[in-house]
Amino acid sequence: MPYELISGCQAAAIAVQRAGVDLVAAYPITPQTAIVETLANFEAKGELGGEFVSVESEYSALSCCNGAVAAGARVFTATSSHGLAYMHEMIQWCSGARFPIVMVNVNRAVGAPWVLDPDQGDSLSQRDTGWMQIYCANAQEVFDTVLQAFMLSEELLLPSLVVFDGFYISHTYEPVDVPEVEKVREFIGPPQFQAQVEPGVQANLHGLSKGETQLQLVRRRHEDMLRAPQVFTAINEKFYRVFGRSYKTVDATIPEGSKTAFLAAGSTAETVKWFLPELKGCGLIQLRMFRPFPGDELGRIVEEQGLERLIIVDRNCSTGTGGYFAQEVRAALYGLTVRPVIQDLLLAGGIDLTKDILAGAAEKSPGDKLVDQEWGVELK
Amino acid sequence: MSGKTNEALLNYLYARGSEASSLNKTGGWRLAAPEKIKRLSPCRHDCLLHSEVPDWMEAVKGGRWEDAWQIMSRSNPFPALTGHVCFSPCTENCNRGRLDQELEIPAVERAIGEWRFDHYQPRRGPRAVKDPVAVVGSGPAGLSCAFYLSDHGYKVTVFEKSSISGGMLALGIPEYRLPREVLNKELAILEEEGITFITNRTLGEDLMLRELNNDFREVFLATGAWLPRQEKLAGAEHKSVYHALDFLSLFNTRQHVEIKDPVVVIGGGNAAVDSARSALRMNGINHVSLIYRRSRAEMPANPGEVEMAEQEGVELVFNANPAEVVTETASGSISAVLFNHSKTNREGLVLDTSRTFKKECGSVILALGQEPDYSVFDPLEEEMSLFAGGDLVSGPATVPEAIRAGRLAAFSIMAKIESRPGPDVFGISEQPVAFEELNLLGRSDLELQDRQKEPVLEAGRCLGCGTCNTCGICYLFCPDVAVEWINNNYEFNLDYCKGCGICVTECPARALQMEGGY
Amino acid sequence: MKITDYSIENELMYSGHNACPGCGGALTVRYLTRALGPNMALAITASCWSIIAGAPPLTALKCPILHCPFPSAGAVGSGLRRGLNAKGHYDTTVVVLAGDGGTFDIGLQALSGAAQRNEDYIFICYDNEAYMNTGMQTSSATPFGARTSTRPYPLFKHGQKKDIMRIMAAHGIPYAATASLAFPQDMENKLKKAQGIKGFRFMHVLSPCPPGWGTDSSETIHLSRLAVFTNFYPLYEIINGEQWQMTYYPEKTRTPLKEYLEAQRRFRQVDEMTIEALQEEVDRDWEGLLKRVNSSGETK
Repeated sequence: MPYELISGCQAAAIAVQRAGVDLVAAYPITPQTAIVETLANFEAKGELGGEFVSVESEYSALSCCNGAVAAGARVFTATSSHGLAYMHEMIQWCSGARFPIVMVNVNRAVGAPWVLDPDQGDSLSQRDTGWMQIYCANAQEVFDTVLQAFMLSEELLLPSLVVFDGFYISHTYEPVDVPEVEKVREFIGPPQFQAQVEPGVQANLHGLSKGETQLQLVRRRHEDMLRAPQVFTAINEKFYRVFGRSYKTVDATIPEGSKTAFLAAGSTAETVKWFLPELKGCGLIQLRMFRPFPGDELGRIVEEQGLERLIIVDRNCSTGTGGYFAQEVRAALYGLTVRPVIQDLLLAGGIDLTKDILAGAAEKSPGDKLVDQEWGVELK
Repeated sequence: MSGKTNEALLNYLYARGSEASSLNKTGGWRLAAPEKIKRLSPCRHDCLLHSEVPDWMEAVKGGRWEDAWQIMSRSNPFPALTGHVCFSPCTENCNRGRLDQELEIPAVERAIGEWRFDHYQPRRGPRAVKDPVAVVGSGPAGLSCAFYLSDHGYKVTVFEKSSISGGMLALGIPEYRLPREVLNKELAILEEEGITFITNRTLGEDLMLRELNNDFREVFLATGAWLPRQEKLAGAEHKSVYHALDFLSLFNTRQHVEIKDPVVVIGGGNAAVDSARSALRMNGINHVSLIYRRSRAEMPANPGEVEMAEQEGVELVFNANPAEVVTETASGSISAVLFNHSKTNREGLVLDTSRTFKKECGSVILALGQEPDYSVFDPLEEEMSLFAGGDLVSGPATVPEAIRAGRLAAFSIMAKIESRPGPDVFGISEQPVAFEELNLLGRSDLELQDRQKEPVLEAGRCLGCGTCNTCGICYLFCPDVAVEWINNNYEFNLDYCKGCGICVTECPARALQMEGGY
Repeated sequence: MKITDYSIENELMYSGHNACPGCGGALTVRYLTRALGPNMALAITASCWSIIAGAPPLTALKCPILHCPFPSAGAVGSGLRRGLNAKGHYDTTVVVLAGDGGTFDIGLQALSGAAQRNEDYIFICYDNEAYMNTGMQTSSATPFGARTSTRPYPLFKHGQKKDIMRIMAAHGIPYAATASLAFPQDMENKLKKAQGIKGFRFMHVLSPCPPGWGTDSSETIHLSRLAVFTNFYPLYEIINGEQWQMTYYPEKTRTPLKEYLEAQRRFRQVDEMTIEALQEEVDRDWEGLLKRVNSSGETK
């Protein structure tokens, strides 16, 4: 197996190169820069296959992808934090236009002030824009997920956001199984969707429409996205046959008899998993897919395992409400006959998740609020 | 993976192969619509026949010769003739002249006539099915009347005093101005059309009004004005003193004329100029003087013709009134003409008998004017029905005026026979479109160019003052693509026209207006 | 080369589009499509043309239209060009259409980026000198002295209109030109010329807006012409950002600016002194342009 010692950013970039794209348009921002640079290096060596466009802003990066994907090209871009926020208008437009774009977002806190740590709020705050979101816990997941995202997007005609944490994943070097180009390309194939803009074919794409039309479009988009878990599973079955790995939308590691579980997404899941032997009586639920939200699958796990308490690791905060994941989980599990206690562990700002924080949270009783630990550190 | 699903989705969502927005009938937004109008062009205004010049120019421009002929023949059935002999006042105020050079209208007019010669097809089926009509006189008025009557199915017989048909066209107008071939072709076509020509019949001698009235339903008299005006001039009875029309008749029918060098032509009208230029063309004649009693500016002759005469070497003498033709006693031949100085003032012509001069000459041609011979009406009986026109009514005039009179007569005769009200006389009260009114700024296709030899190209230079000349500006400047080229015309598609009015503002020919005020 | 094709079947714009009567923007696109032919893909940024193009499934053009958000035009063009190349459509002409807002203001960043990268497409700015689609709010293309709905009477726009042509010239792009609706032949020549050039091409078209400018809908062409005749909007082209060439000298037709201003209600509050000042401004700009033209030397 050709294992390589690479960072998360490199894993993402190499995956893009392996998949074969027609166009990459990107603008640099820490901690995403390594993706841009790696892709540029591929281009310099003549190995990218497509074109690399250094655009003048994140907004233009996504706009450029927008134009190319409309012509039927496979495109990719990557950004982070402020860059993602700046794209907001185009993000919505791309999903409305049903463009199968794949974008990587490397989590970083959004200012002010300037912060570089991996708060997840940048991508989570885009949850309502019609993009699928998948959170990766390590570099191998990053590599595999980027490949799968192209297939997922092109099947559903919906854009995908592949998310991983800044520095913990983006800049950490891990051994990653990197398959050969030929093998990947044979697996993915050329772009699997029809161009919207075709020379000579008269079309008024995304022109002024009525609210009723938009109702139909939004409904269709919603229904299509709800098919994502099913398509994701199908892709992973195929993926397993070729590459020997597969992923679920929600993964659970629950030791025998545990009634408490941490729920985490991204690198925090990896951290919790590492400490599980020391956190007696606790399990882990790793949330990989965030949009669409795999509520049914999560409910099934909670019921099957008889979980009584969920501690949600939210390295983010929707100010005035609390953690994004906690909100989503509460909403998703509301329909269960026996609902677990849901406690929110807020680590906004992207602070480091330590064993002490996890243990402290686990030690609390189900009825307690995680007040002391709620913010991870004391703000004085 | 699932290209088909995606395709279906795209079709559903984004209307691939979208439908044309022309389903959206924007004409409903309109408050006023453009409509074509026709305003008088300077050429039509000045034309003695008020011929629809811009219209036939437009047809020629498009190579639609049959259309051109149809438009032309509405007012002028003999464009080949008029194209040669008309002094073409139409060109004088041509607006194109303000850009580069006036259109050479007669050349295009002639071209239409010649096209007709080449493409004439005798009508099929019975012709001349209606009542017989007699036309007396085969000059331009008679021929014009005969044409229109015959065209409408009347059986026409034309009587001519001379041995050849054509009247003034055959006898009065010199060949250098009207090639006889052209006249003969016109006459041949008229004969082919079923008109009977009978020559050598003189009214009052072997042709009687009474008989004509009996034999024909109606009679049109167009015997012209051939009687020389009698002026008291001593010695004028000499046999070598010719009256202009007599001289021209002999000359034009190539008969012998006893004439000696140098020649003096007295008079200032077109007959005088024709005589002078004809005389100069005769063998043995080296010097011709044209002597007129008033100034050059007062000459009734066409200035262009006078200029031509001057260029050919005719000596022009003005302000000289003839007093006596001097005969050499010994030989009995003419030696000179005595003239008094004369000029015009408020009272008229004033002679200064104290100032005389002698012009030596061998022959004299008097072109002092001619008048109709009203004896043709004798004997006139009360129950007779007669129409008359041309020079016989108007006195000496031009060929186009005679054609117009003949046309008017024909329609009056038909109106009478068919018990309809008589034709409207085309009257002009409207001002022609001035150059300043034209909006040529949009005509980026317009290139400054001088007259073109090719009639189609020359017709293309017409600006169509007041008449749509299909320049396409309305088409080009329409933001709604609501102007269409249909049947050689630009038509407004009112399904889509939003009534913005750009076409009306920009029409270079000023041939559009907004309907219903704007 | 002459505008001789007057057959409606060959028009690439349909009737029934949603432009106001006498719309300059509609004419701009009509000439544009006529000149560039059917093998064209058009990206349209938020502007009047977002409406004019029609409500899907209706469309006003015979070529594909890709609508895109306001600031994105320049970058969408880049992507569309490269995407079509990726699909082998090298000979398809890519055109980006933007209003003055999408060019001078919100779209300037993407425009500048695309121009600097010398992206291979044609950018057309139809300039109606304000945000007309939203009801004539001031833009940086609004000329000094004009009244808008955000500079209502007795206020009016202060500050000069942004000189977009010099901005584009500074990018050193292969071709930039101004065009007037009153000179369709000139416009077609320029468009065809632009089509034959590789790299970023920019065209600025002054597109009168009857409701916004306060003129009669029939005056659109007349105003376009006056703008050229008064030197308010000279016709020229810039090759490689340095070769300035006039395409029309209004020598015989030179008209005082006053005539142009007085024809439009949006300038109604401008007094005589301001008119004089504006005339001086126009004269100065004209001299500056001539200087650039003259120092460009011989035409390539």
